[in-house]
Amino acid sequence: MRPRLFPWRKATETMVQNKLLKIHNLHKSYGDLEIFKGLSLAMDRGDRLVIIGPSGGGKSTLLRIVMGLEDIVGGDVYLDGKPYILRDGGKTKIDHKLQARVGMVFQHYTLFPHLDILRNLTLAPVKTRGTPRAEAEAKAMALLDRFGLAAKARSYPSQLSGGQKQRVAIARALMLDPDLLLFDEVTSALDPELVAEVEAVMMELADQGMPMMIVTHDMHFARNIASRVVFAAGGVVVEDGPPEQVLDNPQVARTREFVERVFARKK
Amino acid sequence: MHFDPTIPFKYWDALLIGLGTSLRLTLICLAIGIALGFVTSQARQSRLLPVRAVATFYVELFRGTPVLIQLFWIFYCLPMLIGAEPGNFISAVLSLSLYAGAITSETFRAALKSIPREQYDTCRALGITGLRLAIWVVLPQALLRAIPTLLSNAVALFKESALISAVGMADLMFIGSSIANRTGRPVEMLTAVAIIYFTVAFPLTRIVGRIEARILRRLAV
Ligand SMILES: Nc1ncnc2c1ncn2[C@@H]1O[C@H](COP(=O)(O)OP(=O)(O)OP(=O)(O)O)[C@@H](O)[C@H]1O
Ligand SMILES: [Mg+2]
Repeated sequence: MRPRLFPWRKATETMVQNKLLKIHNLHKSYGDLEIFKGLSLAMDRGDRLVIIGPSGGGKSTLLRIVMGLEDIVGGDVYLDGKPYILRDGGKTKIDHKLQARVGMVFQHYTLFPHLDILRNLTLAPVKTRGTPRAEAEAKAMALLDRFGLAAKARSYPSQLSGGQKQRVAIARALMLDPDLLLFDEVTSALDPELVAEVEAVMMELADQGMPMMIVTHDMHFARNIASRVVFAAGGVVVEDGPPEQVLDNPQVARTREFVERVFARKK
Repeated sequence: MHFDPTIPFKYWDALLIGLGTSLRLTLICLAIGIALGFVTSQARQSRLLPVRAVATFYVELFRGTPVLIQLFWIFYCLPMLIGAEPGNFISAVLSLSLYAGAITSETFRAALKSIPREQYDTCRALGITGLRLAIWVVLPQALLRAIPTLLSNAVALFKESALISAVGMADLMFIGSSIANRTGRPVEMLTAVAIIYFTVAFPLTRIVGRIEARILRRLAV
């Protein structure tokens, strides 16, 4: 262990130690609309968190905050025990070194339409991390191969199906070796028959122990991939537990109501 | 006097020289105009109010007034302002470039606006920010989206360039009308001039449609 420079900070450091992500007392509003009213949430390295909740409840906002894309009103976020996002002097401070360790995949893939698939993958590592092009390309080809997309390396995004595009988007995020990967309804825009190929890729990452935070409406997939399910509503975490608890046997009335409604709609 | 379609052919070499001047001027002004237009489109989004105000005033002024009057302003007023005769070539280049800059700045503004918000979020998530974001993501997409309209702008500029004959530049229009006056054959000569303009502009306008379709297909993600 490194010698401690500030022994008196030991208490807080132990508190957040071992937690990959810790969100503490998060407050967020858009104008008058209060989205989070003191939301707290922690995540271990082995966790795959699935976040469920009512539409407009702030699931996307939560992921965007963790990605460092949003200002917050109050609270703080720690990554790997280090302060990542906090309020300081009336402003949101984001540690960009830590931000680089988080990756995100969006609902609409948002590939770069002017670049072919290989360049989509290599742009960030080559231009922002200084990775030599040959090295980045070798890594990109290995990832594409793994996701069954090697033949598409020289195609453009517009020539791919939705499922292929979303797999490329996941590969692109993986190029930067994130410690935490965020997925915001990544299969919602897909035709039903394409959902499985994207979910299969996510399951494969799960099997390899990739920490993930996932927002999805697919309860069946949620049950399969989650190590924990978080039900967030009304600006706070209402219930947080293993999928067998939150999805099958919720302890809080509000969760039960939500889950029953979602499953009822399914049938 | 009959319509004699053979007359313009006697002067084909002079007309060709005129066409060369028109094309050269169009290309020079287009190049300057595109650079100016891009800078102006950026200035119009500046956080500094004076920069924004000057850029907006410039664009609206040159878009909202006849090009012929702009040409006269520059031709007659500029010498008074700077106290020297810039010569009619410089004046012509200056006025057409300013006009091209104003119209292409609108083209760039629309192209920049059409880049979806998600592209910016994605880049931030990937750590692509600032100048890198502009150079590797925003600019190429904006240019791609702007190409069809820029080509239309180029065709428009080529036709507008006929106005510089009014200040004595020996372009296609000027040479055509001079010969028309000298020979007393305005119908034949001006029809020939129109056909030459059309022969250059028409294929370009057709190409614009094709390129546009291709680019839209590429950008449809
Ligand atoms: N940029 C913004 N400006 C203003 N309001 C916003 C903005 N982004 C989101 N909101 C609002 O914040 C609330 C939470 O939005 P968010 O997208 O996080 O919800 P969500 O839980 O992801 O919903 P869904 O399940 O429909 O995706 C919504 O009421 C939304 O309208
Ligand atoms: Mg959402």
